[in-house]
Amino acid sequence: MTSPPVLLHDLLDRAAERAPDSTALSTTGASLTYREFARASTRMAGLLHEQGVRAGDRVVVSAADGLGTAVLVYAVSRLGAVFSVLHEEVRGGPLEHVLRDCEPVLLVSDDTGAGRTAADHGVAFRLLADLLQGALGAGPSAPAAPGNPGTLSVDPVCLIYTSGTTALPKAVVSTHQQVLFAASAIHACLGYRADDVVYCPLPLSFDYGLYQLHLAALSGARLHLGTAAEAGPPLLSHLERTRATVLPGVPSIADRLAWLVRRSPGALRNLRLLTNTGAALSEGTMSALRQALPHLRIQVMYGLTECKRAAIMPPDGDLEHPGSCGYPLPGTRIEVIDDEGRRLPAGEIGQIVVRGPHVMAGYWRRPELNAERFPRAEGLFPELRTGDYGWLDDEGFLYFSGRRDDLYKERGFRISATEVEAAAHRVEGVTSAAVLPPAGRRGAVLFVVGDGIGADAVREAMRQHIEPFKIPRRCVLTDALPTNGNGKVDRKKLAALSESADHPTLSAK
Amino acid sequence: MDREAIVRALEAALTDVLERPVTGLRGEVRLFDDLHLDSTTMLEMLMALENSIGLTVDPEELDADDFESVDTFTDFVQAALRDQVPA
Repeated sequence: MTSPPVLLHDLLDRAAERAPDSTALSTTGASLTYREFARASTRMAGLLHEQGVRAGDRVVVSAADGLGTAVLVYAVSRLGAVFSVLHEEVRGGPLEHVLRDCEPVLLVSDDTGAGRTAADHGVAFRLLADLLQGALGAGPSAPAAPGNPGTLSVDPVCLIYTSGTTALPKAVVSTHQQVLFAASAIHACLGYRADDVVYCPLPLSFDYGLYQLHLAALSGARLHLGTAAEAGPPLLSHLERTRATVLPGVPSIADRLAWLVRRSPGALRNLRLLTNTGAALSEGTMSALRQALPHLRIQVMYGLTECKRAAIMPPDGDLEHPGSCGYPLPGTRIEVIDDEGRRLPAGEIGQIVVRGPHVMAGYWRRPELNAERFPRAEGLFPELRTGDYGWLDDEGFLYFSGRRDDLYKERGFRISATEVEAAAHRVEGVTSAAVLPPAGRRGAVLFVVGDGIGADAVREAMRQHIEPFKIPRRCVLTDALPTNGNGKVDRKKLAALSESADHPTLSAK
Repeated sequence: MDREAIVRALEAALTDVLERPVTGLRGEVRLFDDLHLDSTTMLEMLMALENSIGLTVDPEELDADDFESVDTFTDFVQAALRDQVPA
């Protein structure tokens, strides 16, 4: 009998003991069994130790090679050190910020340009390809793995940089036991199986991509790492070729899949599960996927890096609880509080607060922000104030309303712009919609891009979907919504548009 | 459809998708690295070509290599149009 995993790399070692010859990881050009994966990570730990990496040190990796990155993640865990996986495009200023912020002993990349940035900051640099070659045993034999560094389950293992309300990205710190709890709780909800092929179109720098490694190890499934190019238009053909059974996704990937399957009826017989995170899936995409793939189950979810995952919907539970993002992970609790921190009853919108062993340690070296987002109830008990707003129904299902900056008050009601926009989307003939929250004496304005529908008709039709008091009094039809560089609706330009629409010649539209 | 015409159609599609003028594309231009297309804009480009030149794609035949550069993508479109049964 084996003891339960205590440290992150125990997950990999248990999987290698259970099914050494099962395929653990694959890419278009390479694959590793669980035995090979565990051995490679042990050898890489030896190489990193030789490089000077010790318990508690940070190691930053930023490379396109997912397989090499995966080996490195578990190698760093073996040393009791802390890894941070950055997107391969993090270069220049953003990379310098990370090097200054977490002061790593080593930067690993495929890109020698990143090596120059490391040198400028006095950080050692290694090419991932070289480390991987040594770890896979192709080069000269790797140094022996160092002895047990005495790592505790409460020691840090992972830093994940996230953007948000702060000007510069900050790192969420996770301990071994926090990652293990979160991964095990997610596994209990999603139930990956040993015969699954999980096709991961997400980079390992994205936390849900990274956790696919742990979920695969927990279940003994095979994880296939897709590149960004493969996850584009060729997504369906790659899912077919790899005989994928599970697809962890975000809305853009699900939207793409819905477009592709409409053109390829009869494809993807093996795909049994799609999960969604990042933002809400549109109802149109879900129904298109269900129509084309009757055997596919969908699980929507809600979470944030600060606790990895807060809620997961049972398979197809969205059909019974439309608009909900699921139920709290087993062994965790979600509460909703008002601006004074008082707990709100079911049905009332407030800030979403998460409690449980998956609440991470906090932000790296950000005491003020930690006091705000990871406060201790009674001065003792950690909780996570997510900064997201939503409500719970009588059964405990969570409904996400929006970020704090999506919420506004009008006529005394707290209104979520996201919710109003979703209601407008449901109106036939509306292709996109955005709400400009009220400011000064101007009330909220709804901007709509539509196809042969009038502004008044949109407002009237929305009454079927949300309470009338939530519908903005002004609705402006426009040809397109202004967006910023990230493709998000630019509210400043919307405000300008609203002023020009106030002009009599335009408001006649 | 000759290559020249396909590249012009591609330029029009990309102008639409990227919301900035795209002209004078040469064969060696890489779609990801030089034009900074991502997996979402790649699909929007296909959708635009579906509308403009009647390209129909078979999702099961799409390969990442086809989306490498203007040249490889033009090869792909030419072959797809040739195989297409005229409606």
